[in-house]
Order: sequence, then C-alpha cells, then structure tokens
Amino acid sequence: MKKLLALMLALIMVFALVGPTAFADDNVTISLWTYPIGKWTDEATVKGFIDAFNEVHPEITVKVEYLDYTNGDDKINTAIEGGQAPDIVMEGPERLIANWGAKGLMLDLADLVPAGTYEGVAGSCTSADGKVYELPVCMTAHCMAINKDVFEEADALQYIDLENHTWTTENFFKAVQAVYDAGYEYVGTVFCGGQGGDQGTRALVTNLCGGTYANPEHTEYTYASEENAKALSLLCAQDGISFDPAIVASDEIQNFVNGTFQMAFCWNATQEVNNADALGFDVFPMAFPAPEGVPSLQGGIWGFGVFDNKDEARANAAKEFIKFLTEDDGIYAQVVEATNFQPVRDVAGVYEGNELMAEYALMNPMMGDYYQITKGWTTARTEWWNMLQRVGESDGTAETILAELTQAQDAANAAAAAE
Amino acid sequence: MPKNTLAASRTRRLVLQENVAAYLFLLPFLIFFVGFVLYPMFMCLYTSFFDATMGRKDIFVGFANYRELTADPVFWVALKNTMVIVIVSVPITCAFSLWVATIISRMPVAATSAFRCIFYLPVVTGSVAVTMVWKWMFNNYYGIFNYLGKSTGLIEKSINWLGDPKYALGCIILILLTTSVGQPIVLYVSALDNVDKTLVEAAEVDGATPFQAFWRVKWQQMMPTTLYILVITTINSFQCFALIQLLTSGGPKNSTMTIMYYIYYNAFKLYRYGYGNAMGVILAIIIAILSAIQFRLGQEK
Repeated sequence: MKKLLALMLALIMVFALVGPTAFADDNVTISLWTYPIGKWTDEATVKGFIDAFNEVHPEITVKVEYLDYTNGDDKINTAIEGGQAPDIVMEGPERLIANWGAKGLMLDLADLVPAGTYEGVAGSCTSADGKVYELPVCMTAHCMAINKDVFEEADALQYIDLENHTWTTENFFKAVQAVYDAGYEYVGTVFCGGQGGDQGTRALVTNLCGGTYANPEHTEYTYASEENAKALSLLCAQDGISFDPAIVASDEIQNFVNGTFQMAFCWNATQEVNNADALGFDVFPMAFPAPEGVPSLQGGIWGFGVFDNKDEARANAAKEFIKFLTEDDGIYAQVVEATNFQPVRDVAGVYEGNELMAEYALMNPMMGDYYQITKGWTTARTEWWNMLQRVGESDGTAETILAELTQAQDAANAAAAAE
Repeated sequence: MPKNTLAASRTRRLVLQENVAAYLFLLPFLIFFVGFVLYPMFMCLYTSFFDATMGRKDIFVGFANYRELTADPVFWVALKNTMVIVIVSVPITCAFSLWVATIISRMPVAATSAFRCIFYLPVVTGSVAVTMVWKWMFNNYYGIFNYLGKSTGLIEKSINWLGDPKYALGCIILILLTTSVGQPIVLYVSALDNVDKTLVEAAEVDGATPFQAFWRVKWQQMMPTTLYILVITTINSFQCFALIQLLTSGGPKNSTMTIMYYIYYNAFKLYRYGYGNAMGVILAIIIAILSAIQFRLGQEK
C-alpha cells in the first residue's frame, strides 16, 4: 500500500514537471512589459485591449508587467541576462533601437510596417542598418510649461507669443526676471539629480543660443559648443533660475504642480492630464526659448518592440498582438488615446473635440532631430546630468562651462566609438 | 561470520546512515549556499578578467579592468567616500548603541521593550519608505530642516542639503546611523542582561566604581557581541547603496558616490559587467581584510 502511494505521488510530481510541455497544444503565452506611457500603466485600460485581442485570438495569453523609469531598465536588463526577456516591450527608440536593438536583441518588425504608413517617424524607428526595431504608436514634442496665473500677476505674459506658445531667448530671460522681481524665488530649476526627464534640460540648453546635441548623421555628440556654453552661462547668472542636483524631473514636476516652481522644463500633455486634479492654476504649455523664437523641440516616439527570444511561436504571437493594436483604425485610435500623446499616422477620430490635446498638438511642427538613437546614448545621458551638476557648482563663466561640456562630450563620443 | 565482525559492520552501517541523513538535512542549505554565494563569488572573480557586456561574447582582458580601476578618479572618490562613511558611522553606531542599551537596560521591563521597539522600527520599516521621509525632511524648498532652521534663525536661507557637496555625504551618514543603530541596541541590551551579575556584585563589594565595574567586568563579557556588531556594521556601511540610489545617485559632483553605487552604475547603467565585477572583488578583499583585523583584535582582547 505504501509503495503504491509512493508511486502515485512520484507520478504526480513527474506529470507536474513535464506536463506543460508533454501535453503542449497551440496555446502560447507572451509577456508585455510597458513603461509608464499615459494610461498604459492602468491595469483596466490594458486589460481592455487584451480582452479585445483574446476575442480574436483566444489561443494567445498576454501577461503584463508595468515598469517605471526609475528601475524599468534594470528589470529588463536583468531579465535579458537571465534569458527571460519579455516578448514585447513598449518604449521609445532610445531603448529599442539605440540600446537593445544595437546589441542585436530585437526582432526586425519591417513586415508589420505597410509602405508609407509611418513616414514621419520611420527614420527614428529604424537602425542604421535598416532594421525596424520599433513599431511606432504615438509621439509628442516635449515642451515646457509656465504658471500662467503667476506670469500674468508679474506682467510677464507680454514676453510671450500667446498664440504660438513661443518666446525668444531675450524675452525668456526678461520674463524670468519679471516673475522673480514679483517675489517668486524659484522661477525655474535646472534639475540634474539623475537622467530622468533630461529631455527638458537638453532642449532648454541647446535651444537657448542655437546649439546642438548631436550631429545630423547621429554618429557623434556635438554639445560642447560655444552656443551651449553661453546658454548655460546665461542660466547660471539669471535670478530665479537655479541648478539643483538633489532633484530629477519627477520632483520638478511635483514642485511645479504644487506651486513652488513657476515653470517646468519637463512637460507634455500627459503631465497636465495626470496632474489635472492637483493643479490649482492655469498651466500654459510653452515651446523652449530660442534666439528667433523658433525652437527645435525634443521628440518622444513610443511604440512596440519585440525581443528575439528564439521562439518562433512567441514571436509570431507577439506580432499578432501588435498588428491587432495598430492595424485597425478604430482600435489604433483607442490605443493612441490611452497614451495621451499624438498618433504617428493618419487616423480619424482621435481626441475629437479635445481642446487640451489640440493645444499641445501646436508643438508637433516644432519637433526637431531625433538624436536619441546616436550610439553611446546611455553614456551621453549620464555625462549630461553630471556635467550640469558641475556647471551648477562652477564660477559660471563660459570658459569653465565649455571645459565641462568638452569633458562630458569626450566621454560620450568615446562610448559611441566603442559600441 | 564471527559475532564481533557482524556488530562492527552494523555499527558502520548505522554511522553511514546517520552521516547520509545529516548531509541530506544540510543539502537544501548547501544548494542555496552554492547557488547564491559560492557560484556568484566565483563568477564575480571570473568575469572581472573579461570585457563583458550585453549582447556579445566576453573578451578576456586579464588584469586590464584592475589596471583601469587604479587610474579611474571616480573609483578613488568612491573609495574615499566609502571609507569616510565606515570610519564615521561604525564607531558612532557602536558607541551610541552601547550608551542607549546601558540606559534602557536599567529601566523597567516594559519600558525596555518599548524603547527596543522604537529603536528597531527603522530597521523593520522598508528602506524606501524611511528614505523618502528623510528626502522630504531634507527638501530644499519645503523641508522641515530648512523650515526649523530659518524659523529659529540658525540659517539665513534654505540649504540644499542633498544638493550641496558640503552637506550631502553628512546627510547620508546621518540617515545611515538611524537605520543602523536598531539591531546593535537590541543585541547590547541582551548582552547586558546576560552579564554574570555575581561578578558585578563581587566587583562592587571589592570597591569598584560603577565605571570600573562596567569597564572591567561587563565590557569584557560583552566583547563577542561588540565584535559581531563591529563586523556587521562595517559590512553594512561598506554596502551602503539604497540610500544613495534613492537620494543622490552618487551626486552632487560624486560627493556621495560609494563603491557599491559605482559598481551598480557601471554594471547596470553602462553595462560594463567585467569592470563592475573587478570593483566588487576589490571591495570584497577590503571587507575581508578589515573583518579579519577586527576578529584578530577581538580575540586578542
């Protein structure tokens, strides 16, 4: 009797171990890991898309993991090293193309891109050797924002082109001075505690005096220029503008929302939507200041990438899921609206009658070069915020700042050359 | 078969059975020890001789990573900061814990338990939660330290505690102290309870002052506890990471960069696994040497 019981237990254990593979059918389970992109952090929203997909493809199970920008990269990198990379990841070209794609970890999704569909952003989602590592879904032009109520009180709105949401460099500094003189100590802060939201500080510095960050070929970094040194020098000297190594973009946004800062350098439509309940003043989105008032805004393009997990069934299932979300106009419109950003292809019915989105859409024509796919991007980013910390502690002269910019740029270019 | 040979054979079989049973009981721990301690240690040492990164085969570089370390200014800054943290926090943690334990061990049992809980709270509270509270208190714009400082006239204008290289490392050490003293206090209270009361009474009868009774009798009996606390606190101080990651990312201007954070930065941000592992090996050697010295000194005492 004991032997029979032992045999049964052993059989149960063996079936438990080999069962899933021994009796495998056509069912496939894939994983989707998504960074916080609009409502793609909201379980109910994402589940809605998966449920709709499962009505068409009940044989494919999609498991979701929600990442954040603080430790999302660490999670994915650890998963890659452990051979457990997700099947689909939702993020932008700086990770999908410049990082994991460049390392040969992603699948080419060219077969999912109908000719001419994504012409506006296709170049930014394609690697130097022509592989499409990101199927783009949405985009935005990152901008900044001001507390319109405070600017009005300080009579600083006179320096702003209210119709186009733009201002010149000269008027930007006049406006900051006016707000500062009206009794607001912290008008704006160049946050440099980490890389989070650094698109704001990059756009601010490179636009102020007409500098650049990388060359148009995306082969090397060019931010050690006299224009950028002058821009940083002007920021160092300006009342009401400080360099703060203790905060990152999320802290800056929080301080703007709660009224401590009067402007935010890291802003977009999602920030206004997400903070709508907490905002006690009128937010006015602004383009970054430029000498002639015509800036080159930093773009964000988000979409899906598929990791090459050497499993054809999972890869095909992942592509089916992406096709489902992006091919049909009706579903695609919902997917885009869930991101709070703009669509990357023509589609009817997105944000119809939504004044807020129409206001932010004004920024799109000002979108500049998508240089985040330049090699050595990871090093370039970390060098940037470390450089800002040193500049904030420096004497603020253009010569000193140019030396700091050169040190950071050399390290970034060395990393680019090594890749 | 002769009777005594049969008995010897049975004895050997019983001993073997007992040994096998003992090793089987040890096996689960052994698997974890090998899998999570020995194997990673070996891999750390092994990888330190390679240029290892994501997405390509590792390239053997010999001692190149170690040579690069000697010329890396940030590594030396990180080493200096780590040593400052250890040198400042270890003695203060031990002395403060002993002082608090001495006071609360004289209190009624309920009060002793209450204080033990209070001091142990930061240890059992999640480090992220503790760190976030401290971050709020140190906030440049509306933190309580700046508010109190300005209200009482101690400071004229706000200090960017975590954003100023002059103060940032001090703030990190302060937070580290609050999260480090809980366990030593509990251990010292237990050690004081376990001191042989008859020896203390005998010393007092022989005319020893309270200080002499403490120093000559109690302190001597608490040496093993002190040694344990010293070693654990030293290792914890060397491994200071979460505070740095959550509060300063090693800044401003690398003023709070520690070896542990620099390892993480190289391995997980720059994907330089070999270089990060080389630093890990150096850190392990430093901790091993210091722990050996502490054990040696403790044994001599």
